[in-house]
Amino acid sequence: MANSAFLVSTVLLSCLAATCYGATISSLKETLLVTASPTPGQVVKAGEDKITVTWSYNNTFASGTDSTYKTIQVKLCYAPISQVDRAWRKTVDNLAKDKTCQFKIVAKPYSPSNNTFTWTIERDVPTATYFVRAYAFDSANEYVAFGQSTDAHKTTNLFQIQGISGRSVSIDIASICFSAFSVVSLFGFFFMEKRKAKASQQK
Amino acid sequence: MADIEGSPGSSMHGVTGKEQTFAFSVASSVVPTDTTAKFDLPVDSEHKATVFKIYSFANPHMRTFHLSWISFFTCFVSTFAAAPLVPIIRDNLNLTKQDIGNAGVASVSGSILSRLCMGVVCDMLGPRYGCAFLIMLSAPTVFCMPFVSSAGGYITVRFMIGFSLATFVSCQYWMSTMFNSKIIGLVNGTAAGWGNMGGGATQLIMPLLYDVIRKTGSTPFTAWRIAFFIPGMCHVIMGILVLTLGQDLPDGNLNTLQKKGNVNKDKFSKVLWYAVTNYRTWIFVLLYGYSMGVELTTDNVIAEYFYDRFSLNLHTAGIIAASFGLANIVARPFGGFSSDYAAKKFGMRGRLWAVWILQTFGGVFCLLLGRANSLPIAVTMMILFSVGAQAACGAIFGIIPFISRRSLGIISGMTGAGGNFGSGLTQLVFFTSSRFSTSAGLSYMGVMIVCCTLPVTLVHFPQWGGMFFPASNDVDKGSEEHYYGSEWSEEEKMKGMHQTSLKFAENSKSERGRRVAPAPTPSPTPPNSTPSNV
Repeated sequence: MANSAFLVSTVLLSCLAATCYGATISSLKETLLVTASPTPGQVVKAGEDKITVTWSYNNTFASGTDSTYKTIQVKLCYAPISQVDRAWRKTVDNLAKDKTCQFKIVAKPYSPSNNTFTWTIERDVPTATYFVRAYAFDSANEYVAFGQSTDAHKTTNLFQIQGISGRSVSIDIASICFSAFSVVSLFGFFFMEKRKAKASQQK
Repeated sequence: MADIEGSPGSSMHGVTGKEQTFAFSVASSVVPTDTTAKFDLPVDSEHKATVFKIYSFANPHMRTFHLSWISFFTCFVSTFAAAPLVPIIRDNLNLTKQDIGNAGVASVSGSILSRLCMGVVCDMLGPRYGCAFLIMLSAPTVFCMPFVSSAGGYITVRFMIGFSLATFVSCQYWMSTMFNSKIIGLVNGTAAGWGNMGGGATQLIMPLLYDVIRKTGSTPFTAWRIAFFIPGMCHVIMGILVLTLGQDLPDGNLNTLQKKGNVNKDKFSKVLWYAVTNYRTWIFVLLYGYSMGVELTTDNVIAEYFYDRFSLNLHTAGIIAASFGLANIVARPFGGFSSDYAAKKFGMRGRLWAVWILQTFGGVFCLLLGRANSLPIAVTMMILFSVGAQAACGAIFGIIPFISRRSLGIISGMTGAGGNFGSGLTQLVFFTSSRFSTSAGLSYMGVMIVCCTLPVTLVHFPQWGGMFFPASNDVDKGSEEHYYGSEWSEEEKMKGMHQTSLKFAENSKSERGRRVAPAPTPSPTPPNSTPSNV
């Protein structure tokens, strides 16, 4: 419930930000350093495991570059391997249309260092390979910078999340019961009618 | 109506070809009303209703109508129930575009075979058991959806649920046991159109159920599974209603149907031969594949398309997608009406032009739908596309009864199967590979619709003409009797097996339109055969 609110507001926010100002990812500077706790190739479970994200300003850039940064949004993003044959997760340059990062981890006011957040992976996160990205926004909610836990080609430091199956024993049992009822009542009716017909014929 | 019971083609028994698609009732001077029968509706000598009162539930005629179309509607709902939920399912099961496309193909392929078998089942068990068996045995397949955890399972379950679309055949068969042939066109067209609406209604119902279940606290990946219980339970409920409230015939149940002796059973191989060797059959199979076929394809892809392309939420995408299928309530009857209206003035030539115009219209708007970049334009193009395609379906079935009298049942079955085949093919070609996007797929499909409608220009009836060429001037070959009589060999004509075809030929002269001087009709006793005492 809260997730869909986050999701909708994230989409709206990025729509507002980008459609008003047409931000593209290639125009953003990668001035943030982001790390995520899962080791490369590790598999973590949705709904159970936690990941810890840290982000900070990369001091090799000139000081004052981050003067416009007001808020940070940290998001979970699909790695290229999970985007193959799945156009609904496509990466496009226009941030308003980009679908790479569909899950919001946290939004916080900007500070250059000592930023960390531990997130319990939500149960609607599907099975896929991911990395973490942080976007910086200015006071007008415009994209100004970003940082990610992987390299520019999105090949290193990727981790996997194992989504929940969505099945449960009670649903399975209910399915079986209803199916059995359907078949039994059909054949029951059929044979009952046949017997009635035979009985009335014999009379 | 003396009909050959139990023979191939008799599943369309009752259909003569003269029925106006929009006659609501038959004047009792045209069909003698049986005044001794105690039914709520006026009936003919076979106790088939001669009046169609939509709002009545009178037993047995109107009750049968409602049981029948609602069963068909339910099967449509469950066959396309996954489509509006694909944005959730694709994440839960880690599906690729190929998996989604293959599942769509599978969902319409199963019924190709099941529809062909259903005619036989109805002949053997009667339409009431045919319908009940199918709907209650496909309920477990719907209940299998909550078990699915992989792409393979998803495709398999959608394939199995798709078998239930054969309720179309039981629906039409059951209608023809209950309604007089003069109004059967309207009754069957209404039942088919309202049943097809299920493909639209499901796009509204399933996201709504999903939202309600989410609000009770379920996560998305569980909520969609629970949502499938509703269509499943509807199958069971409808099955029970059909068994308890339905009856096969106006006078009671099946047992008497098969006991009628003195039937001239036609040979299946011959009936099949005359269906297959008539080139018009294949042209209309192709055409129906690109009117009904694209309608089914669009039912499968349109919700996901609007969800992704215009970033709508599931609920809104579902509402838009629903309006595509729900247009059936007026669009399909409108197609039948246009066909009949054109036939009044121009005969069969008018009917052919009506099909070509409506279907091409649909194809053009499908192309524009794919190219539309803004939401209001896309919705408008989609609605115009739906009207074109669905009206074309109605118009095609305005022509089917005239292609053959002997093989009418098989041709109808083949056409229906062609619809599903066309759907499977278009989904496979345009919506399964990642080579082009869904919007490009829609545009290409529109182009293919226009191209595949062109063969209707080749259809020519010697007695009535074609789109561009008038009827043959040959006195003998240009007659209806010759056309329908040519399906029978000389020995068969000697046995008098072709009498119903001759009767039909006489009735079908209305397809000449307003031609002033009809060709002189040959004598009622064709040469080389003695008139039999029927």
